Amino acid sequence: MARRTKIHVGLEIGTSKTCIVVGEVKPDSAVKILGIGVTKSAGIRKGELSDFVQARSCLKHALAKAEDTSDVEIGSVFLSVTGSHLQGINNRGTFRLPENQQTILPEHLEEACNIARDVPYPQDNVCLHTIIRNYVVDGLEQSASPIGLFAKNVEADFHIVHGIGNRIQNSIKLVRECPLEVDDIVFAPIATAQMALDREQRVRGALLIDIGGGTTDFALYLGGAIATSGCIPVGGDHITNDIHLVTGLPFSKAEKLKILEGNASSDPSLSVGVAKLTDDNGFAEVEVKRTILNEVIRQRLEETLKLVRDRLPKGAVESIGAGIFLTGGTSLMSGFSELAFDVFGRDIYRPEPSENTGSAHPSFKDPQFATAIGLIRYAQILETENTKPPGCIGRLLGMFWPFGS
Amino acid sequence: MISYSRDSHEAILSSAVKIVGLGGAGANMLERIALESIEGAELLALNTDIRTLGACLAKEKIQLGVNLTKGLGTGGDPELGQQAMLEAEANVREALKGQQIVFLCTGLGGGTGSGAAPIVARIAREEGAFVVVFATMPFFFEGLRRRDQAETSLNQLAVLSNALVTFDNNRMGELVLAKQGIHEAFAAADKMISESIKAVIRLVIRPGLINVGLDDLMSALRTNRSRCLFGSGVADGKDRASKALRNALASPLLDQGSLLKDAQTVLVHLSGGESLTLFEIELLMQNLQKHVPNEAHVLFGAAIDPAMGNSLSITLISALPEDALTGSSRNSISTTSKSIADLDAEIAAPAEIENPFSEIDSKEKEATKNKDPELDAKSAEKSEEEPTTSDEPIENFADHKPKPKAAQIPSSKNKIDRLIGESIQGGKDKEFQDPIPDKSESELPEEPSETETQDKEDRPFAEPELIQPEAPLPKSTEEKDAKEEESKETADPEVAEISKSSAPPILIPKNRPVNKTIWGEAQSQKDKSPKSENPLEEEVLTEDDAVTERTPLTNLKLDPNNSGSQSELSFDSAPRGRFEGENPNVFEGEDLDLPPFLRKRKS
Repeated sequence: MARRTKIHVGLEIGTSKTCIVVGEVKPDSAVKILGIGVTKSAGIRKGELSDFVQARSCLKHALAKAEDTSDVEIGSVFLSVTGSHLQGINNRGTFRLPENQQTILPEHLEEACNIARDVPYPQDNVCLHTIIRNYVVDGLEQSASPIGLFAKNVEADFHIVHGIGNRIQNSIKLVRECPLEVDDIVFAPIATAQMALDREQRVRGALLIDIGGGTTDFALYLGGAIATSGCIPVGGDHITNDIHLVTGLPFSKAEKLKILEGNASSDPSLSVGVAKLTDDNGFAEVEVKRTILNEVIRQRLEETLKLVRDRLPKGAVESIGAGIFLTGGTSLMSGFSELAFDVFGRDIYRPEPSENTGSAHPSFKDPQFATAIGLIRYAQILETENTKPPGCIGRLLGMFWPFGS
Repeated sequence: MISYSRDSHEAILSSAVKIVGLGGAGANMLERIALESIEGAELLALNTDIRTLGACLAKEKIQLGVNLTKGLGTGGDPELGQQAMLEAEANVREALKGQQIVFLCTGLGGGTGSGAAPIVARIAREEGAFVVVFATMPFFFEGLRRRDQAETSLNQLAVLSNALVTFDNNRMGELVLAKQGIHEAFAAADKMISESIKAVIRLVIRPGLINVGLDDLMSALRTNRSRCLFGSGVADGKDRASKALRNALASPLLDQGSLLKDAQTVLVHLSGGESLTLFEIELLMQNLQKHVPNEAHVLFGAAIDPAMGNSLSITLISALPEDALTGSSRNSISTTSKSIADLDAEIAAPAEIENPFSEIDSKEKEATKNKDPELDAKSAEKSEEEPTTSDEPIENFADHKPKPKAAQIPSSKNKIDRLIGESIQGGKDKEFQDPIPDKSESELPEEPSETETQDKEDRPFAEPELIQPEAPLPKSTEEKDAKEEESKETADPEVAEISKSSAPPILIPKNRPVNKTIWGEAQSQKDKSPKSENPLEEEVLTEDDAVTERTPLTNLKLDPNNSGSQSELSFDSAPRGRFEGENPNVFEGEDLDLPPFLRKRKS
């Protein structure tokens, strides 16, 4: 039983690929990736379902592959969702202590949290995450639980991610029809951040940008807590589409050209001459001026990054200390780091799974799998939070554990 | 009650600044300056070519060589340009009388520019003005001969002017994106020069909190035979201090700030609205320290100019000895300047002003042919000449610094009346040769206040243009310019290719719009483009619009590229490829599914 629960499966249904990662969490909390199952997605547009049947068959295919490579029978998964309907907002709940009480009691804190969680969002929306950022006691920020402190006011800062309920329900339905159980739903950038950012980076301030095929997800961590998250429905497909629209090339050629020849940096020396694709016989079948190709790519990515930048709270870019972490398939675009640096002016990193994933499989280094691997980390964190209470000491602790189970 | 008139303008009166555009390139720069509407400065156009002169927007115009070239150009012969200039010397002297600062804008390499510029500079100096020369150097592909002419003239200007700022046309490519048309490139170059002029004017006219004046300017530019390093940047909004500095350092004249590494003296002038904070200044100076050597003498000035609003402008001025510049700059190939390095020659050089310039020319050419053996003999020759010419009105340049300021500034207060009177009188005197009706002259003394809109400032320039009776003139200029531009295009394969490759979105007009269109249109184009961070891209847009206005809309519908410029229509009409048939992915008024490349987002 215990061993069985230590295997977590992350499922990401992305615009360009459906990806299942099977990971084993060892007793010392090291993670080992047992296997990955990837197929090209179909029926997904900008991170959302557009063709249920096609998407289901893709998922089944990926599942079969994952079970095959990992030699594990998969029963339940952690599912990441994305889409422009998902929004992250911050809210603060304030509770004023009753006159006769001077110290903060658990119920006071609970009340503050309830007020903070009560965010006005549209009726059709459901809440995906409520993440505590920090507590504020009489205007002073407290990162740990303030229970027992003297105070007049206690406030709780929450980050709440909500999205349209039916769309999320449909994603869950898709997985259930496989049939698989869904352990939890996670907003994609939050899952990715579990893999990409360590604690220190979150404290110093880090921005994660996950540019995938159809969406650009981002999560900003400041002072150890999530500050902003969101999704912009623009991704690598748009670049291909742009090349298609500007040059008139078919999609397959445009995609190939983008991957092989494209460059996003504005370095003019890389925009000299003509980019060619040769067919099997060695003849050039496609010729596009690099100036145009690179300019199309650069303008699209620059716009996307600027959209991300504009969504961040004021002054947030300046307070990013650790840097900006790029993941997702589109972040493999050459020259992208330079472009990102031009836009944000911060250090740019492309994260890799940490060494303790214990696998020599080269594809695990690929930022395309960042979200799925991040899901396993998320599951692991969730598990440690939830399974702490057992035992005498644990139960005692549990009485004071503010997060509850 | 006794009222004290507090004269805050202890520096230079704005009416004592004149901008002179010489030759065809100078006229183009003047046009740009007129469009930018530099506050208070008077414009004077000098040219041999009556057609270009007629189309020019300057208030004052003087035709050079009325009898010699008979209204035609010089045909690229500097000697002809020189003689034409000497013919009109009296008129030019009259026009420059009493000016404290003269900006001379010219393009070297041609006949009028190369031939006449040194003489104009000399006249201005003799009239006691501080002369700043902005000269453009010809393209490589214009040939060695033009290059030689330009270098010769440049060497003369280096000693004659107080400050010499050169802009190499070969570096024009750095100003604009590769896909932008040749028109934008030229406009950008002209714009840069007009920005520089504006900055210098701002520097000397605005009384500062921490004042810098002409004396500081001169000490920043003290090295004789120097090339001026110039960077000017304006920015607003958050982080404006570092943005402005970045813009200033990005100036091609500074070579991305790397040229400042060798500077001895750097003048930094900051000007901002009332929101300028000490913290910003500190931040900016700290950043600047990274680019300037520690031992350099930094002259710092700051001024509050309410007209700046929320923006902050920084101006960096410094000078490098010519040989240092040629060593680091990758483009200038001044062969003569390398050969004349020793101080004697430098001091002696002004003495040659009185010589006919043809003599200098031949000498310089000789020097280029056989450099080193000639050098000693030449400098000896010059030092011999020195005493004979020492009583000439131009004093030795080594100690020129205190003179003009001491002489002129005290008298500058009551000078204004005299100046106005003179300028009106001068206008009447000139009537017989001046193609402009006198009407514009009468408007001259009305200095438009800085709060007035650009329209009002520009209109006086426009009127003579419209009154201009000779109808065929603008047309023929246009033809000529078009030919020039064409020849440039064909001469440089790369330019030609760029213009082809950039194909549909950017239609390249064969001429500057100011010449081609009637004034109202040019004005409206100008009005459309607000002052943004990247005015060049703006211009592409407005240019596009202008073109679409003129050409019938027949084939535009079919062209996907044109859908981008009209974002209102694009939702329905534009092809969207893979995302066809989906709901428009609208975010902040833009359909994200359409390529930004076609939408031409400016931000």
